[in-house]
Amino acid sequence: MSHSRTALRRLAGCLVGLLLSAACAGVSAQNPPPGQQTFDSVLNPNAAEQAKRQQQQPGNNAPVWREVRSEKEHYTTDRGVEAGVLIQSGGETWRQRRNNQLIPVGGALFLAALAACALFFWWRGPLRVKSPPTGRKMLRFNTFERAVHWTVAITFTILALTGLIMLFGKAVLLPVIGHTLFAWLTNLGKNVHNFVGPVFSVGVLLLFVTFVRDNLPSVKDAVWFAKGGGLFSDVHVPSGRFNGGEKVWFWIGVLVLGVTVSASGLFLNFPNFLQGRESMQWANIIHVVATVVMMSMAVGHIYIGTIGSEGALDGMKTGYVDEAWAREHHEYWYDEIKQKMPNRDTGSTGPVPAGALHAKETNT
Amino acid sequence: MARMKFLCDAERCIECNGCVTACKQEHEVPWGVNRRRVVTINDGVPGERSISVACMHCSDAPCMAVCPVDCFYKTDEGVVLHDKDLCIGCGYCFYACPFGAPQFPQAGAFGLRGKMDKCTFCAGGPEKDHSEDEWKKYGRNRLAEGKLPACAEMCSTKALLGGDGDVVADIYRNRVLKRGRGAEVWGWSSAYGAPKGGSQAPAAAPAKS
Repeated sequence: MSHSRTALRRLAGCLVGLLLSAACAGVSAQNPPPGQQTFDSVLNPNAAEQAKRQQQQPGNNAPVWREVRSEKEHYTTDRGVEAGVLIQSGGETWRQRRNNQLIPVGGALFLAALAACALFFWWRGPLRVKSPPTGRKMLRFNTFERAVHWTVAITFTILALTGLIMLFGKAVLLPVIGHTLFAWLTNLGKNVHNFVGPVFSVGVLLLFVTFVRDNLPSVKDAVWFAKGGGLFSDVHVPSGRFNGGEKVWFWIGVLVLGVTVSASGLFLNFPNFLQGRESMQWANIIHVVATVVMMSMAVGHIYIGTIGSEGALDGMKTGYVDEAWAREHHEYWYDEIKQKMPNRDTGSTGPVPAGALHAKETNT
Repeated sequence: MARMKFLCDAERCIECNGCVTACKQEHEVPWGVNRRRVVTINDGVPGERSISVACMHCSDAPCMAVCPVDCFYKTDEGVVLHDKDLCIGCGYCFYACPFGAPQFPQAGAFGLRGKMDKCTFCAGGPEKDHSEDEWKKYGRNRLAEGKLPACAEMCSTKALLGGDGDVVADIYRNRVLKRGRGAEVWGWSSAYGAPKGGSQAPAAAPAKS
Protein backbone atom coordinates (compact mmCIF):
# COMPACT_ATOMS: atom_id res chain seq x y z
CA MET A 1 0.00 0.00 0.00
CA SER A 2 2.60 2.51 1.12
CA HIS A 3 4.91 1.34 -1.63
CA SER A 4 2.44 1.97 -4.35
CA ARG A 5 1.60 5.40 -2.92
CA THR A 6 5.30 6.38 -2.99
CA ALA A 7 5.52 5.26 -6.58
CA LEU A 8 2.51 7.34 -7.46
CA ARG A 9 3.94 10.36 -5.70
CA ARG A 10 7.19 9.94 -7.59
CA LEU A 11 5.36 9.71 -10.85
CA ALA A 12 3.38 12.84 -10.05
CA GLY A 13 6.61 14.62 -9.08
CA CYS A 14 8.15 13.71 -12.40
CA LEU A 15 5.12 14.98 -14.29
CA VAL A 16 5.09 18.30 -12.41
CA GLY A 17 8.81 18.66 -12.97
CA LEU A 18 8.39 18.03 -16.66
CA LEU A 19 5.56 20.54 -16.96
CA LEU A 20 7.45 23.16 -15.00
CA SER A 21 10.59 22.84 -17.06
CA ALA A 22 8.52 23.00 -20.24
CA ALA A 23 6.78 26.11 -18.95
CA CYS A 24 10.09 27.71 -17.97
CA ALA A 25 11.52 26.96 -21.38
CA GLY A 26 8.48 28.62 -22.97
CA VAL A 27 8.78 31.70 -20.78
CA SER A 28 12.49 32.11 -21.27
CA ALA A 29 12.02 31.80 -25.00
CA GLN A 30 9.46 34.64 -25.05
CA ASN A 31 10.60 36.98 -22.32
CA PRO A 32 13.73 38.96 -21.65
CA PRO A 33 15.83 37.90 -18.61
CA PRO A 34 14.08 38.52 -15.26
CA GLY A 35 16.10 41.63 -14.46
CA GLN A 36 14.87 43.46 -17.55
CA GLN A 37 11.26 42.40 -17.33
CA THR A 38 8.83 45.27 -17.86
CA PHE A 39 5.08 45.54 -17.85
CA ASP A 40 5.16 45.56 -21.62
CA SER A 41 6.15 41.95 -21.77
CA VAL A 42 3.27 40.62 -19.69
CA LEU A 43 0.40 43.01 -20.45
CA ASN A 44 -1.31 44.24 -23.55
CA PRO A 45 0.19 47.56 -24.66
CA ASN A 46 -2.62 49.69 -23.26
CA ALA A 47 -2.72 47.99 -19.88
CA ALA A 48 1.05 48.31 -19.68
CA GLU A 49 0.83 52.02 -20.41
CA GLN A 50 -1.86 52.50 -17.79
CA ALA A 51 0.10 50.50 -15.19
CA LYS A 52 3.22 52.54 -15.90
CA ARG A 53 1.27 55.80 -15.84
CA GLN A 54 -0.20 54.97 -12.45
CA GLN A 55 3.30 54.65 -11.02
CA GLN A 56 4.77 57.71 -12.71
CA GLN A 57 1.73 59.97 -12.48
CA PRO A 58 -0.69 58.54 -9.93
CA GLY A 59 -4.25 59.19 -10.94
CA ASN A 60 -3.54 59.78 -14.60
CA ASN A 61 -5.93 57.50 -16.41
CA ALA A 62 -5.40 58.81 -19.93
CA PRO A 63 -4.58 55.38 -21.39
CA VAL A 64 -7.88 54.02 -20.04
CA TRP A 65 -9.87 56.94 -21.43
CA ARG A 66 -8.28 56.42 -24.80
CA GLU A 67 -9.56 52.85 -24.64
CA VAL A 68 -13.06 54.12 -23.84
CA ARG A 69 -13.16 55.96 -27.17
CA SER A 70 -11.27 53.29 -29.09
CA GLU A 71 -14.52 51.53 -30.08
CA LYS A 72 -12.79 48.27 -29.16
CA GLU A 73 -14.71 45.49 -27.45
CA HIS A 74 -13.72 45.19 -23.81
CA TYR A 75 -14.71 42.59 -21.28
CA THR A 76 -18.34 42.34 -20.24
CA THR A 77 -20.70 39.59 -19.17
CA ASP A 78 -23.42 41.05 -21.42
CA ARG A 79 -23.85 38.87 -24.50
CA GLY A 80 -25.44 41.57 -26.66
CA VAL A 81 -24.07 42.76 -30.01
CA GLU A 82 -20.95 44.89 -29.37
CA ALA A 83 -21.84 45.07 -25.68
CA GLY A 84 -18.15 45.43 -24.82
CA VAL A 85 -17.91 48.72 -26.71
CA LEU A 86 -18.36 51.69 -24.39
CA ILE A 87 -18.86 54.53 -26.88
CA GLN A 88 -19.37 54.22 -30.63
CA SER A 89 -19.20 57.49 -32.48
CA GLY A 90 -20.40 56.17 -35.85
CA GLY A 91 -23.99 56.51 -34.72
CA GLU A 92 -23.79 60.28 -34.50
CA THR A 93 -22.15 60.45 -37.93
CA TRP A 94 -24.92 58.28 -39.35
CA ARG A 95 -27.56 60.42 -37.70
CA GLN A 96 -26.06 63.62 -39.16
CA ARG A 97 -25.81 62.09 -42.63
CA ARG A 98 -29.33 60.70 -42.54
CA ASN A 99 -31.12 63.66 -40.99
CA ASN A 100 -29.12 66.55 -42.44
CA GLN A 101 -28.10 65.22 -45.83
CA LEU A 102 -30.02 62.20 -47.06
CA ILE A 103 -33.50 63.34 -46.03
CA PRO A 104 -33.38 66.92 -47.38
CA VAL A 105 -31.29 66.16 -50.48
CA GLY A 106 -33.11 62.90 -51.22
CA GLY A 107 -36.48 64.55 -50.73
CA ALA A 108 -35.50 67.41 -53.03
CA LEU A 109 -34.29 65.00 -55.72
CA PHE A 110 -37.50 62.97 -55.61
CA LEU A 111 -39.67 66.09 -55.71
CA ALA A 112 -37.55 67.43 -58.58
CA ALA A 113 -38.21 64.23 -60.54
CA LEU A 114 -41.96 64.58 -59.97
CA ALA A 115 -41.83 68.27 -60.91
CA ALA A 116 -39.81 67.55 -64.05
CA CYS A 117 -42.43 65.05 -65.24
CA ALA A 118 -45.27 67.44 -64.43
CA LEU A 119 -43.48 70.24 -66.27
CA PHE A 120 -42.81 68.01 -69.25
CA PHE A 121 -46.42 66.91 -69.36
CA TRP A 122 -47.55 70.53 -69.23
CA TRP A 123 -45.14 71.44 -72.05
CA ARG A 124 -45.46 68.47 -74.41
CA GLY A 125 -48.51 66.60 -73.19
CA PRO A 126 -48.71 62.90 -74.00
CA LEU A 127 -46.59 61.91 -76.99
CA ARG A 128 -49.18 60.96 -79.59
CA VAL A 129 -48.91 58.39 -82.34
CA LYS A 130 -49.04 60.55 -85.46
CA SER A 131 -50.31 58.06 -88.00
CA PRO A 132 -53.75 56.54 -87.43
CA PRO A 133 -53.85 53.14 -85.74
CA THR A 134 -53.62 50.29 -88.22
CA GLY A 135 -55.66 47.95 -86.07
CA ARG A 136 -53.00 45.31 -86.63
CA LYS A 137 -51.31 44.22 -83.40
CA MET A 138 -47.78 43.02 -82.75
CA LEU A 139 -46.68 40.95 -79.77
CA ARG A 140 -44.26 43.07 -77.76
CA PHE A 141 -44.09 41.27 -74.42
CA ASN A 142 -45.05 37.65 -73.86
CA THR A 143 -46.79 36.43 -70.72
CA PHE A 144 -43.61 35.53 -68.87
CA GLU A 145 -42.00 38.86 -69.64
CA ARG A 146 -45.06 40.72 -68.43
CA ALA A 147 -45.29 38.59 -65.29
CA VAL A 148 -41.68 39.35 -64.43
CA HIS A 149 -42.10 43.04 -65.18
CA TRP A 150 -45.24 43.39 -63.10
CA THR A 151 -43.76 41.41 -60.22
CA VAL A 152 -40.92 43.90 -60.05
CA ALA A 153 -43.20 46.87 -60.75
CA ILE A 154 -45.73 46.01 -58.04
CA THR A 155 -43.17 45.04 -55.40
CA PHE A 156 -41.14 48.15 -56.26
CA THR A 157 -44.17 50.39 -55.79
CA ILE A 158 -44.99 48.81 -52.43
CA LEU A 159 -41.38 49.11 -51.29
CA ALA A 160 -41.12 52.69 -52.52
CA LEU A 161 -44.30 53.82 -50.76
CA THR A 162 -43.46 52.11 -47.45
CA GLY A 163 -39.85 53.30 -47.73
CA LEU A 164 -40.99 56.89 -48.34
CA ILE A 165 -43.10 56.68 -45.19
CA MET A 166 -40.14 55.46 -43.14
CA LEU A 167 -37.80 58.11 -44.51
CA PHE A 168 -39.99 61.19 -44.92
CA GLY A 169 -43.18 60.29 -43.02
CA LYS A 170 -42.02 61.79 -39.74
CA ALA A 171 -41.74 65.20 -41.38
CA VAL A 172 -44.58 64.96 -43.91
CA LEU A 173 -47.29 62.55 -42.76
CA LEU A 174 -46.95 62.46 -38.96
CA PRO A 175 -48.02 66.09 -38.40
CA VAL A 176 -51.13 65.41 -40.51
CA ILE A 177 -52.42 62.08 -39.19
CA GLY A 178 -50.99 62.05 -35.66
CA HIS A 179 -48.76 59.66 -33.72
CA THR A 180 -51.12 56.72 -33.20
CA LEU A 181 -52.23 56.26 -36.78
CA PHE A 182 -48.82 57.09 -38.19
CA ALA A 183 -47.05 54.55 -35.95
CA TRP A 184 -49.61 51.88 -36.89
CA LEU A 185 -49.15 52.64 -40.58
CA THR A 186 -45.36 52.69 -40.35
CA ASN A 187 -45.30 49.46 -38.38
CA LEU A 188 -47.42 47.81 -41.07
CA GLY A 189 -45.26 49.44 -43.73
CA LYS A 190 -42.03 48.23 -42.13
CA ASN A 191 -43.22 44.62 -41.99
CA VAL A 192 -44.59 44.71 -45.53
CA HIS A 193 -41.33 46.31 -46.68
CA ASN A 194 -39.25 43.62 -45.01
CA PHE A 195 -41.23 40.70 -46.41
CA VAL A 196 -41.80 42.10 -49.92
CA GLY A 197 -38.15 43.14 -50.26
CA PRO A 198 -36.73 39.66 -50.92
CA VAL A 199 -39.44 39.04 -53.57
CA PHE A 200 -38.32 42.21 -55.33
CA SER A 201 -34.69 41.03 -55.21
CA VAL A 202 -35.57 37.78 -56.94
CA GLY A 203 -37.68 39.73 -59.44
CA VAL A 204 -34.78 42.02 -60.29
CA LEU A 205 -32.55 39.06 -61.13
CA LEU A 206 -35.28 37.50 -63.31
CA LEU A 207 -35.92 40.84 -64.99
CA PHE A 208 -32.25 41.17 -65.83
CA VAL A 209 -32.01 37.69 -67.35
CA THR A 210 -35.26 38.16 -69.27
CA PHE A 211 -34.46 41.47 -70.91
CA VAL A 212 -30.67 41.60 -71.07
CA ARG A 213 -30.38 40.42 -74.70
CA ASP A 214 -32.45 43.23 -76.17
CA ASN A 215 -30.81 45.80 -73.91
CA LEU A 216 -27.26 45.28 -75.14
CA PRO A 217 -25.98 48.69 -76.25
CA SER A 218 -25.59 49.37 -79.95
CA VAL A 219 -24.38 52.23 -82.16
CA LYS A 220 -27.98 53.11 -82.93
CA ASP A 221 -28.41 54.19 -79.31
CA ALA A 222 -25.88 56.98 -79.80
CA VAL A 223 -28.06 58.41 -82.57
CA TRP A 224 -31.08 58.12 -80.29
CA PHE A 225 -29.29 60.07 -77.56
CA ALA A 226 -28.00 62.68 -80.04
CA LYS A 227 -31.57 63.39 -81.06
CA GLY A 228 -32.78 63.49 -77.47
CA GLY A 229 -34.92 60.43 -78.06
CA GLY A 230 -37.45 62.57 -79.88
CA LEU A 231 -38.69 63.80 -76.53
CA PHE A 232 -37.97 67.46 -77.14
CA SER A 233 -38.83 67.73 -80.82
CA ASP A 234 -41.10 66.17 -83.37
CA VAL A 235 -38.24 64.46 -85.18
CA HIS A 236 -38.75 60.77 -85.77
CA VAL A 237 -36.07 58.78 -83.93
CA PRO A 238 -35.89 55.09 -84.78
CA SER A 239 -34.74 52.50 -82.24
CA GLY A 240 -34.54 48.75 -81.66
CA ARG A 241 -36.82 46.81 -79.35
CA PHE A 242 -35.61 49.05 -76.54
CA ASN A 243 -34.44 52.62 -77.04
CA GLY A 244 -31.48 54.36 -75.45
CA GLY A 245 -33.50 55.67 -72.54
CA GLU A 246 -34.91 52.26 -71.75
CA LYS A 247 -31.41 50.81 -71.87
CA VAL A 248 -30.10 53.39 -69.40
CA TRP A 249 -32.98 52.51 -67.09
CA PHE A 250 -32.22 48.83 -67.56
CA TRP A 251 -28.48 48.99 -66.85
CA ILE A 252 -28.43 51.70 -64.20
CA GLY A 253 -31.92 51.45 -62.74
CA VAL A 254 -32.48 47.71 -62.81
CA LEU A 255 -28.99 46.27 -62.66
CA VAL A 256 -26.77 48.68 -60.70
CA LEU A 257 -29.37 50.25 -58.42
CA GLY A 258 -31.58 47.16 -58.18
CA VAL A 259 -28.69 44.98 -57.07
CA THR A 260 -27.31 47.65 -54.71
CA VAL A 261 -30.69 48.17 -53.12
CA SER A 262 -31.28 44.43 -52.81
CA ALA A 263 -27.90 43.66 -51.30
CA SER A 264 -28.00 46.49 -48.76
CA GLY A 265 -31.66 45.78 -48.01
CA LEU A 266 -31.09 42.09 -47.35
CA PHE A 267 -28.18 43.01 -45.09
CA LEU A 268 -30.45 45.27 -43.03
CA ASN A 269 -33.31 42.79 -43.14
CA PHE A 270 -31.55 39.98 -41.31
CA PRO A 271 -30.22 41.28 -37.99
CA ASN A 272 -30.27 37.66 -36.82
CA PHE A 273 -26.74 37.36 -38.20
CA LEU A 274 -25.80 39.90 -35.49
CA GLN A 275 -24.15 42.44 -37.76
CA GLY A 276 -22.37 45.25 -35.97
CA ARG A 277 -23.64 48.80 -35.92
CA GLU A 278 -21.05 50.27 -38.28
CA SER A 279 -21.98 47.90 -41.10
CA MET A 280 -25.69 48.55 -40.49
CA GLN A 281 -25.15 52.31 -40.66
CA TRP A 282 -23.33 51.98 -43.98
CA ALA A 283 -25.89 49.55 -45.36
CA ASN A 284 -28.62 52.03 -44.46
CA ILE A 285 -26.85 54.95 -46.15
CA ILE A 286 -26.17 52.92 -49.30
CA HIS A 287 -29.78 51.68 -49.29
CA VAL A 288 -31.23 55.18 -48.97
CA VAL A 289 -28.96 56.76 -51.60
CA ALA A 290 -29.62 53.98 -54.10
CA THR A 291 -33.37 53.87 -53.51
CA VAL A 292 -33.85 57.62 -53.76
CA VAL A 293 -32.00 57.69 -57.10
CA MET A 294 -33.94 54.63 -58.24
CA MET A 295 -37.29 56.11 -57.21
CA SER A 296 -36.47 59.36 -59.00
CA MET A 297 -35.57 57.46 -62.18
CA ALA A 298 -38.67 55.29 -61.78
CA VAL A 299 -40.83 58.41 -61.78
CA GLY A 300 -39.58 59.10 -65.31
CA HIS A 301 -40.03 55.46 -66.38
CA ILE A 302 -43.56 55.27 -65.01
CA TYR A 303 -44.45 58.63 -66.54
CA ILE A 304 -43.33 57.71 -70.05
CA GLY A 305 -44.86 54.25 -69.76
CA THR A 306 -48.30 55.56 -68.78
CA ILE A 307 -49.64 59.08 -69.34
CA GLY A 308 -46.50 60.38 -71.06
CA SER A 309 -46.69 58.28 -74.17
CA GLU A 310 -49.84 57.19 -75.93
CA GLY A 311 -50.10 53.44 -76.44
CA ALA A 312 -47.01 52.54 -74.41
CA LEU A 313 -48.94 50.97 -71.55
CA ASP A 314 -50.81 48.62 -73.93
CA GLY A 315 -47.62 46.69 -74.61
CA MET A 316 -47.07 45.88 -70.95
CA LYS A 317 -50.78 45.54 -70.16
CA THR A 318 -51.93 43.26 -72.99
CA GLY A 319 -48.63 42.27 -74.50
CA TYR A 320 -49.61 43.74 -77.88
CA VAL A 321 -48.97 47.09 -79.51
CA ASP A 322 -50.42 48.63 -82.64
CA GLU A 323 -48.18 48.46 -85.68
CA ALA A 324 -48.37 52.22 -86.05
CA TRP A 325 -47.04 52.65 -82.52
CA ALA A 326 -44.26 50.12 -83.15
CA ARG A 327 -43.19 51.89 -86.36
CA GLU A 328 -43.05 55.29 -84.69
CA HIS A 329 -41.38 54.28 -81.44
CA HIS A 330 -39.27 51.25 -82.28
CA GLU A 331 -38.81 51.28 -86.05
CA TYR A 332 -35.77 48.97 -86.20
CA TRP A 333 -37.61 46.41 -84.11
CA TYR A 334 -40.71 46.83 -86.30
CA ASP A 335 -38.61 46.30 -89.44
CA GLU A 336 -36.99 43.20 -88.02
CA ILE A 337 -40.33 41.66 -87.19
CA LYS A 338 -41.70 42.53 -90.59
CA GLN A 339 -38.64 41.06 -92.27
CA LYS A 340 -39.13 37.80 -90.41
CA MET A 341 -42.89 37.81 -90.84
CA PRO A 342 -43.66 39.57 -94.13
CA ASN A 343 -47.06 37.92 -94.30
CA ARG A 344 -48.30 39.98 -91.45
CA ASP A 345 -48.22 43.13 -93.59
CA THR A 346 -51.75 42.71 -94.74
CA GLY A 347 -54.15 40.82 -92.71
CA SER A 348 -55.68 40.27 -89.35
CA THR A 349 -57.06 42.96 -87.20
CA GLY A 350 -57.40 41.30 -83.83
CA PRO A 351 -54.61 40.25 -81.52
CA VAL A 352 -52.33 37.63 -82.97
CA PRO A 353 -52.03 34.36 -81.04
CA ALA A 354 -49.16 34.45 -78.58
CA GLY A 355 -45.92 33.34 -80.12
CA ALA A 356 -46.98 33.91 -83.72
CA LEU A 357 -45.17 37.21 -83.84
CA HIS A 358 -42.97 36.71 -80.85
CA ALA A 359 -40.54 39.53 -80.63
CA LYS A 360 -37.90 37.54 -78.80
CA GLU A 361 -37.88 34.80 -81.35
CA THR A 362 -37.56 37.13 -84.27
CA ASN A 363 -35.41 39.87 -82.91
CA THR A 364 -31.82 38.75 -82.90
CA MET B 1 -36.47 71.24 -11.81
CA ALA B 2 -33.69 68.76 -11.52
CA ARG B 3 -31.86 67.52 -14.59
CA MET B 4 -31.35 63.78 -14.07
CA LYS B 5 -27.95 62.35 -14.95
CA PHE B 6 -25.91 59.21 -14.41
CA LEU B 7 -22.28 59.33 -13.40
CA CYS B 8 -19.99 56.32 -13.05
CA ASP B 9 -16.82 56.76 -11.05
CA ALA B 10 -14.22 54.52 -12.70
CA GLU B 11 -11.97 54.87 -9.62
CA ARG B 12 -14.63 53.16 -7.51
CA CYS B 13 -16.40 50.64 -9.73
CA ILE B 14 -15.38 47.12 -8.71
CA GLU B 15 -17.29 45.27 -11.44
CA CYS B 16 -19.61 43.55 -8.98
CA ASN B 17 -22.52 43.86 -11.42
CA GLY B 18 -24.79 44.79 -8.53
CA CYS B 19 -26.29 47.58 -10.66
CA VAL B 20 -27.04 45.13 -13.48
CA THR B 21 -28.70 42.74 -11.07
CA ALA B 22 -30.60 45.47 -9.26
CA CYS B 23 -31.98 46.71 -12.58
CA LYS B 24 -33.01 43.29 -13.81
CA GLN B 25 -34.70 42.48 -10.53
CA GLU B 26 -36.37 45.86 -10.08
CA HIS B 27 -38.02 45.83 -13.50
CA GLU B 28 -38.15 42.08 -14.17
CA VAL B 29 -36.41 42.68 -17.47
CA PRO B 30 -36.77 39.67 -19.78
CA TRP B 31 -33.92 37.35 -20.72
CA GLY B 32 -31.54 38.70 -23.33
CA VAL B 33 -32.38 42.31 -22.53
CA ASN B 34 -29.88 44.23 -20.43
CA ARG B 35 -30.73 47.80 -19.64
CA ARG B 36 -27.39 48.19 -17.87
CA ARG B 37 -24.04 46.47 -18.26
CA VAL B 38 -20.57 46.71 -16.79
CA VAL B 39 -17.61 46.92 -19.15
CA THR B 40 -14.08 46.28 -17.92
CA ILE B 41 -10.99 47.69 -19.59
CA ASN B 42 -7.72 45.80 -19.07
CA ASP B 43 -9.63 43.02 -17.35
CA GLY B 44 -7.61 41.09 -14.80
CA VAL B 45 -4.33 42.99 -15.20
CA PRO B 46 -2.85 46.10 -13.60
CA GLY B 47 -4.51 49.24 -14.92
CA GLU B 48 -7.96 47.64 -14.85
CA ARG B 49 -10.95 49.98 -14.80
CA SER B 50 -14.64 49.11 -14.86
CA ILE B 51 -17.50 51.28 -15.99
CA SER B 52 -21.22 50.72 -15.59
CA VAL B 53 -23.14 51.89 -18.65
CA ALA B 54 -26.79 52.30 -19.58
CA CYS B 55 -28.86 54.93 -21.34
CA MET B 56 -27.31 58.27 -20.35
CA HIS B 57 -30.49 60.25 -21.13
CA CYS B 58 -28.63 62.53 -23.52
CA SER B 59 -29.44 66.20 -23.90
CA ASP B 60 -29.50 65.93 -27.69
CA ALA B 61 -30.51 62.29 -27.89
CA PRO B 62 -29.55 60.61 -31.19
CA CYS B 63 -32.23 57.91 -30.71
CA MET B 64 -34.88 60.62 -30.58
CA ALA B 65 -33.50 62.26 -33.70
CA VAL B 66 -33.50 59.15 -35.89
CA CYS B 67 -36.70 57.45 -34.70
CA PRO B 68 -38.95 57.27 -37.80
CA VAL B 69 -42.16 57.28 -35.73
CA ASP B 70 -41.08 59.85 -33.12
CA CYS B 71 -41.78 57.50 -30.22
CA PHE B 72 -39.25 59.15 -27.86
CA TYR B 73 -39.97 61.99 -25.52
CA LYS B 74 -38.09 63.81 -22.80
CA THR B 75 -39.53 64.40 -19.36
CA ASP B 76 -39.23 67.70 -17.50
CA GLU B 77 -36.37 66.11 -15.60
CA GLY B 78 -34.40 65.38 -18.76
CA VAL B 79 -35.14 61.64 -18.76
CA VAL B 80 -35.40 60.18 -22.28
CA LEU B 81 -38.36 57.80 -22.45
CA HIS B 82 -40.18 56.06 -25.27
CA ASP B 83 -43.65 54.82 -26.09
CA LYS B 84 -43.66 51.09 -26.81
CA ASP B 85 -47.10 51.35 -28.40
CA LEU B 86 -45.59 53.50 -31.14
CA CYS B 87 -42.22 51.71 -31.47
CA ILE B 88 -41.97 49.69 -34.71
CA GLY B 89 -38.73 47.89 -33.80
CA CYS B 90 -36.71 49.21 -36.73
CA GLY B 91 -33.43 49.32 -34.80
CA TYR B 92 -32.46 52.86 -35.86
CA CYS B 93 -32.04 53.99 -32.23
CA PHE B 94 -29.61 51.11 -31.74
CA TYR B 95 -27.56 52.25 -34.76
CA ALA B 96 -27.49 55.83 -33.50
CA CYS B 97 -26.92 55.46 -29.74
CA PRO B 98 -23.28 56.02 -28.69
CA PHE B 99 -23.74 53.92 -25.52
CA GLY B 100 -25.41 50.83 -26.95
CA ALA B 101 -28.43 51.42 -24.72
CA PRO B 102 -31.40 50.35 -26.89
CA GLN B 103 -32.12 46.64 -26.54
CA PHE B 104 -34.43 44.36 -28.49
CA PRO B 105 -36.07 41.17 -27.27
CA GLN B 106 -35.30 39.46 -30.59
CA ALA B 107 -32.94 39.78 -33.54
CA GLY B 108 -35.19 37.91 -35.93
CA ALA B 109 -35.07 37.44 -39.68
CA PHE B 110 -37.00 40.00 -41.75
CA GLY B 111 -36.13 42.64 -39.16
CA LEU B 112 -38.47 41.25 -36.51
CA ARG B 113 -36.86 42.72 -33.42
CA GLY B 114 -39.84 43.34 -31.19
CA LYS B 115 -40.33 46.55 -29.23
CA MET B 116 -37.22 48.38 -28.12
CA ASP B 117 -36.42 48.36 -24.41
CA LYS B 118 -33.96 50.54 -22.57
CA CYS B 119 -33.14 52.15 -19.23
CA THR B 120 -35.96 54.46 -18.11
CA PHE B 121 -33.99 56.05 -15.27
CA CYS B 122 -36.60 54.15 -13.24
CA ALA B 123 -39.18 56.63 -14.52
CA GLY B 124 -41.62 54.27 -16.25
CA GLY B 125 -43.29 55.30 -19.48
CA PRO B 126 -46.12 57.35 -20.92
CA GLU B 127 -48.80 55.32 -19.13
CA LYS B 128 -50.37 56.44 -15.88
CA ASP B 129 -47.89 56.30 -12.97
CA HIS B 130 -47.87 52.92 -11.18
CA SER B 131 -50.45 51.46 -13.58
CA GLU B 132 -50.38 47.80 -14.58
CA ASP B 133 -49.60 48.77 -18.20
CA GLU B 134 -46.66 50.90 -17.16
CA TRP B 135 -45.24 48.12 -15.00
CA LYS B 136 -45.57 45.52 -17.77
CA LYS B 137 -43.99 47.62 -20.49
CA TYR B 138 -41.37 49.68 -18.67
CA GLY B 139 -40.95 48.32 -15.16
CA ARG B 140 -41.18 50.17 -11.91
CA ASN B 141 -41.58 53.94 -11.73
CA ARG B 142 -39.35 54.78 -8.79
CA LEU B 143 -39.06 58.45 -9.63
CA ALA B 144 -42.81 58.80 -9.15
CA GLU B 145 -42.33 57.19 -5.72
CA GLY B 146 -39.72 59.82 -4.86
CA LYS B 147 -36.86 57.35 -5.18
CA LEU B 148 -33.74 57.36 -7.34
CA PRO B 149 -32.74 54.67 -9.87
CA ALA B 150 -32.32 51.20 -8.36
CA CYS B 151 -28.88 50.64 -9.90
CA ALA B 152 -27.33 53.70 -8.28
CA GLU B 153 -29.11 53.08 -4.98
CA MET B 154 -27.78 49.52 -4.94
CA CYS B 155 -24.18 50.38 -5.86
CA SER B 156 -22.00 49.04 -3.04
CA THR B 157 -19.10 51.45 -3.56
CA LYS B 158 -21.28 54.38 -4.66
CA ALA B 159 -19.37 54.40 -7.92
CA LEU B 160 -22.63 54.81 -9.80
CA LEU B 161 -24.45 58.01 -9.01
CA GLY B 162 -27.86 58.81 -10.44
CA GLY B 163 -29.98 61.86 -9.77
CA ASP B 164 -29.99 65.63 -10.14
CA GLY B 165 -26.96 66.42 -12.28
CA ASP B 166 -25.89 69.34 -10.08
CA VAL B 167 -25.97 67.26 -6.88
CA VAL B 168 -24.20 64.36 -8.56
CA ALA B 169 -21.52 66.72 -9.87
CA ASP B 170 -21.04 68.23 -6.40
CA ILE B 171 -20.58 64.84 -4.80
CA TYR B 172 -18.10 63.92 -7.49
CA ARG B 173 -16.19 67.18 -7.23
CA ASN B 174 -15.73 66.71 -3.47
CA ARG B 175 -14.58 63.18 -4.07
CA VAL B 176 -12.01 64.26 -6.63
CA LEU B 177 -10.69 67.04 -4.37
CA LYS B 178 -10.35 64.65 -1.47
CA ARG B 179 -8.59 61.85 -3.30
CA GLY B 180 -6.73 64.14 -5.69
CA ARG B 181 -7.21 61.98 -8.76
CA GLY B 182 -9.78 60.43 -11.06
CA ALA B 183 -11.28 63.66 -12.29
CA GLU B 184 -12.58 62.26 -15.55
CA VAL B 185 -16.34 62.10 -15.88
CA TRP B 186 -17.06 59.25 -18.15
CA GLY B 187 -19.44 59.80 -21.05
CA TRP B 188 -20.68 63.22 -20.00
CA SER B 189 -19.50 65.20 -22.99
CA SER B 190 -21.01 62.56 -25.31
CA ALA B 191 -24.31 62.58 -23.46
CA TYR B 192 -24.73 66.09 -22.16
CA GLY B 193 -22.53 68.08 -24.53
CA ALA B 194 -19.47 70.21 -23.91
CA PRO B 195 -19.79 72.63 -21.00
CA LYS B 196 -21.31 75.93 -22.11
CA GLY B 197 -19.67 79.35 -21.99
CA GLY B 198 -16.19 78.01 -21.37
CA SER B 199 -17.06 76.95 -17.83
CA GLN B 200 -15.44 73.87 -16.39
CA ALA B 201 -16.91 70.39 -16.40
CA PRO B 202 -18.25 69.21 -13.02
CA ALA B 203 -14.88 67.89 -11.97
CA ALA B 204 -11.52 69.54 -12.52
CA ALA B 205 -10.98 68.46 -16.10
CA PRO B 206 -13.38 67.28 -18.77
CA ALA B 207 -12.92 63.70 -19.87
CA LYS B 208 -11.89 62.84 -23.37
CA SER B 209 -15.01 60.81 -23.76
